[in-house]
Amino acid sequence: MVAFSGMEFLFRFLPAFLAVYYITPKRYRNTALLFGSLFFYAVGDPFFLLLLIAAVWLNYFFAGKIVLLQGENRSKKTWLTAAIIFDAGLLAVFKLLGAFLGSSVLPLGLSFYLFKMISFQMDIYRGEIAQLPTFKRTAVYFTMFPQIVSGPIMRFNEGSFLLEERKYSFEKLEEGIQYFVIGLGTKVLLADRLAILWKDIHAIGYESISTPLAWLGAVSYSMELYFDFWGYSLMASGLCVMLGFPFIKNFDHPYASKSVSEFWRRWHMTLGSFFRDYVYIPLGGSREGETRTVRNLLAVWLLTAFWHGGSLNFILWGMLLFVLIVLEKMWLGKVWKRFPAAGRCFVLLLIPVTWIFFAITDLGQLAVYFGRMFPFLGGNGVAVNSHDIIKYLTMYWKYLLAGVIWCIPAVYRFWEKHRKHPAAVIFVVLVFWLSVYCVVSMGNNPFAYLKF
Amino acid sequence: MSQCAGEKSTEESTGRKKIMKMKFIKKCPVFLSLAVSGLLFTLVGIAGRGSVYKEYKFNVAERPFLSLMMEGMSNGVKPWEVFYAGQAGSGDAGAADGKAEHNEQADGETGQSIEDFAGTDDASGKTEGIMENGKSGLDAQTAGDGGDASAAGTAGDGGGASAAGTAGDGGDASAAGTAGDGGNASAEGVTGTAEGDGTVNGGQTYDFSTVTEDYFDDAVFIGDSRTVGLFEYGGMEERADFFAKISLTIYDVFTAPVAKDKTTGRMITVEQALSQKKYGKVYLMLGINELGTGTVDSFMEEYRAVVEKLRELQPDAVIFVEGIMRVTGTKNESDPIFNNTNINERNAQIMKLADNQNIFYIDVNEVVCDESGNLNAEYTIDEIHLKAKYYSIWKRFLLEHGIVR
Repeated sequence: MVAFSGMEFLFRFLPAFLAVYYITPKRYRNTALLFGSLFFYAVGDPFFLLLLIAAVWLNYFFAGKIVLLQGENRSKKTWLTAAIIFDAGLLAVFKLLGAFLGSSVLPLGLSFYLFKMISFQMDIYRGEIAQLPTFKRTAVYFTMFPQIVSGPIMRFNEGSFLLEERKYSFEKLEEGIQYFVIGLGTKVLLADRLAILWKDIHAIGYESISTPLAWLGAVSYSMELYFDFWGYSLMASGLCVMLGFPFIKNFDHPYASKSVSEFWRRWHMTLGSFFRDYVYIPLGGSREGETRTVRNLLAVWLLTAFWHGGSLNFILWGMLLFVLIVLEKMWLGKVWKRFPAAGRCFVLLLIPVTWIFFAITDLGQLAVYFGRMFPFLGGNGVAVNSHDIIKYLTMYWKYLLAGVIWCIPAVYRFWEKHRKHPAAVIFVVLVFWLSVYCVVSMGNNPFAYLKF
Repeated sequence: MSQCAGEKSTEESTGRKKIMKMKFIKKCPVFLSLAVSGLLFTLVGIAGRGSVYKEYKFNVAERPFLSLMMEGMSNGVKPWEVFYAGQAGSGDAGAADGKAEHNEQADGETGQSIEDFAGTDDASGKTEGIMENGKSGLDAQTAGDGGDASAAGTAGDGGGASAAGTAGDGGDASAAGTAGDGGNASAEGVTGTAEGDGTVNGGQTYDFSTVTEDYFDDAVFIGDSRTVGLFEYGGMEERADFFAKISLTIYDVFTAPVAKDKTTGRMITVEQALSQKKYGKVYLMLGINELGTGTVDSFMEEYRAVVEKLRELQPDAVIFVEGIMRVTGTKNESDPIFNNTNINERNAQIMKLADNQNIFYIDVNEVVCDESGNLNAEYTIDEIHLKAKYYSIWKRFLLEHGIVR
């Protein structure tokens, strides 16, 4: 039920919850949201519900201590440290377990809710959250179902947890539904289709793909990952808007960036700003000389890599990005400023390469794939069919083309601007039913899905 | 969710209620369209639940009624068909999609008395095929759309299907055999099995020998995605012809456009392609996609008909019926349908088709499986298809199993 694109969520939980939520008098809506979210989590991961509740309670306890000791800086800091050691430690323990035992041991949404908790503690400590919110509001913030599985990592201050601040209107409900549907379509109609191409390449065996197919795979994986996560984020933010919260932007058309650094400011923005505000800047940011800057960037990228996964390929991935970003900070950035087109090409060529490090967890396989992308480095293929690219382009060109178009910021903005136009309304309705159709025909009918 | 507007407005006066409603329609067009269309699709689902969607596994707690409509559409059932589902005859024979066609082929013109029924509506031979099993109109439709399992199953119950089939292929291996067997089976319940064997040619049988690659120069391979893989990565594409397509089944092998006409470049059917060129060897591997459809008997009935048709189209060719390649142990244990028990069951029947004169059974599983008889996990990523570099094993196996007459 926790997948927003699943039938149970779309046609059971969501309508039922929205009905309850809107029937409930305004002053009890936080309670409705809290119980709805706990129910949602319990269905998704009953075993770790207790962990979530314990983490919520402990964090509230720590936050209370920090607020209480507002005057005494030292003991305040002790409690903050305790809270962060608890949150980060819990995350580290599970990430390590996950690296050894497989990701199935990870509690649902762990890294997202723990990051919310850390940001909450930091904001309390810094006095950015003016006073200690009530337990209920804090718990709603930590557990709210639109964000618990995969973010966005909203800050407490960004959400309007004070009921008086929340505005409800038909327009907002409608707006939320539109964002949700567009996100659903992005995920189901694009990401899930492109995912099959990536699977196909995997099934052939990396040693047997032609170099063009290796590149097509990298490009298509780059789009798949983007549409999957962006689509999810749009759905999550759309849900928030339906419930009267503000829209949280998590992606800002990253592939239109003019440098790798910019790409990472526009990709998974709430994670990027988390590391910026709670790691990079506290370490001194870029104000204390080049060596310090590089060290701080290294810290951020090691943490980013570790956050995404415990295995070695993620570390390599993080280090590759670290190197690219440092290069841009030192001198490449100046080149991109003078020749933005070169920067764009750099992003479009190198980001897919970095995603390959992200996608392939087995280092041996990673090397094989890399060798196929750059055969002059000695990646000799085995039983390569040089015509394979034609086959896959014929099969997937529609999704690839639609994907490229959907990466263009102007296209999305055009939709956003005209989303109230009758044609846009019809479009959204069609996208919704087409997505539902795809989910049903792929999900519940093994014969349609399993074609050999 | 529509209560949200309704609930609010109960508090208001009736006058404001109207205004609210107006506002709502104006401000929430997407919400409203979704609600209305959702309701409509739900009605379609509920209406068709007992008829055209009867065969679908459905649990209200898991998914909405409207998903029935979507599932139907993905199987070629048009949503509006639910509205004539209740009527006599079978206006919705379209529901009995392509899969049911094998009945048509197998039964030919044997409609007998029930034919009159079927003849009254626009249903094609598809319906006749199902009707022929002596089912009533409504039952027949549902049998048809859920796949042909029950239809053929009934025939089997009468002692007909398997017996008839074998009788047919023991016969002169011509079209006459096929046309006859449906009728014989259901009418008289003929039980004589393989008696016909051997009596026809009484000729010599042959053993496998190792051959060189030019053996494939006059060969044609027919099959599903596994054979597509052999085409792409087996290194035989220069020599042999391949009529293969992802998800090709025994039911549509002759009707799907899978062969390329070398002169016009157009896609033609296997039947057309085989009529145009004479081959020395015909390799056939089909059957994994069909595991979820029908029974072993209904599958074999069709398989037999296909082999006979191949004989008819290529009377001088050696026909290799290939055992279905198995899946890995993990897949075998986790999948209720695509597992090796089901594969082996069908392979055992395919093996019986061999007469070692014209038709030979070869089983690549001998070289791609591990000790427990599952597809070697090292050879595959997706547990079903060989990785590209291992198609050479299959090719080598084929070279070691040539028939020279």
